[in-house]
Amino acid sequence: MAMIDGFSHIVLHVTNLDRSEKFYRDVFGLDVIGRDLVTDEGPNSLLAMNTRQRVLLVEAPEVVAIRPNSSSIHHAWLLTIDEFARAKERLAKAGFDISDSRAQFRATGENSLDVFDPDGHRFQIQAYGPEATAIVNEHVGPIACGHMDDFPVGTVKPYVKGKFFLVRLDDGFLAVSRWCTHMNGLLSWKKEHWHFYCPMHGAMFNRKGESLPCSRHCPTLRLHPLSIGADGRITVDPDTAIERDGYHPDQAVPAHAGASSRYAEPQTA
Amino acid sequence: MADVETLSHSGISVHDLKEAESFYCGILGAEVHGAVNFVTEDTLKGRSVHQSYTLGDFLFALVLAPDFMPMPPGDKLMGVNGFRHSFAIRRADFDAALARLGEHHVPFKGPVDHPEKGPFGQSVYFKDPSGNFLELLWRRDEGVAYAKAPDLDVG
Repeated sequence: MAMIDGFSHIVLHVTNLDRSEKFYRDVFGLDVIGRDLVTDEGPNSLLAMNTRQRVLLVEAPEVVAIRPNSSSIHHAWLLTIDEFARAKERLAKAGFDISDSRAQFRATGENSLDVFDPDGHRFQIQAYGPEATAIVNEHVGPIACGHMDDFPVGTVKPYVKGKFFLVRLDDGFLAVSRWCTHMNGLLSWKKEHWHFYCPMHGAMFNRKGESLPCSRHCPTLRLHPLSIGADGRITVDPDTAIERDGYHPDQAVPAHAGASSRYAEPQTA
Repeated sequence: MADVETLSHSGISVHDLKEAESFYCGILGAEVHGAVNFVTEDTLKGRSVHQSYTLGDFLFALVLAPDFMPMPPGDKLMGVNGFRHSFAIRRADFDAALARLGEHHVPFKGPVDHPEKGPFGQSVYFKDPSGNFLELLWRRDEGVAYAKAPDLDVG
């Protein structure tokens, strides 16, 4: 049922409307629309973002910013990269710690920091640069992976240099990029669960590189060209990425000497 | 011009993920966006168990509360339990939305009129099963072509 047309606004209680209005305007960077434009439980101030979303600050004698026994309560502002740089300057000037306490969980190009407003409401400030989704090319040259007979069907072997997984399916070999297609986080192979997993945002993919139905929907993981020499030895070219829409057996390189990738046009970063 | 584009997502604590999903998806029309952080290793690192949803253009995560959260009084339908999320409905659909809340036995307060000098028209107030306050409203500026929130699939 499409009852909802979209998000309208978030309402927050504050103990000092003047102080909070100034903070949301001068530190967070919202535009003040006006006072008492809304019927609510107390004096209020309505502020705007650049979309139609609004913030309504309502003055109250007591504020419970985070419900007791709750977890992970937060709200996230989305900024452009330029806005994020300016926000960091304003926050630093106001005495805030602008380091990212969860930096190890951020994808390449993902910028984030946490800030508490004067009443303890927790906000995440986010911005994503173009490098978050750009194809990564480390220019490492061809990678020799060993002899095809050393990789039984079902094998998944991660390579640090070149950032790919060598996968052997019934259909043959795949060189699957380790860079998540949601944002550039590095995937790990969860052997016990038989899937690839991104610790940044929780995306999961099967060994063919398709995102799992229970996970967030992401484009199929990219491939790298793979060839098997006359001597049966496998070489992968991680400097070339092949984007794809789903898995097809033609994408796999059959396990016989002289075979090589024959799927799609490569896209070099 | 503000220096913030949009609110990209919120994390909302609930007592029961399935009960909350039934409410947000079954009544309000939210859609499951993705199950995340159900991987054991991840939860051991301190990430809470949650699942994300989209409701209209808004992404939110329902987060399993580690313990029972104090509940607002049952008859208190308008309030702020830390925060209140408000979702817009087109004015032409407003009565149907109220009827839908009634069909699902969701008690609500309102409609409440907002001052004509402001951008909001009328609101109704209610709670999800875990005591998080919510609001539906129609807005006087529903015909204005605001910039769209970027679809970044973040959160």
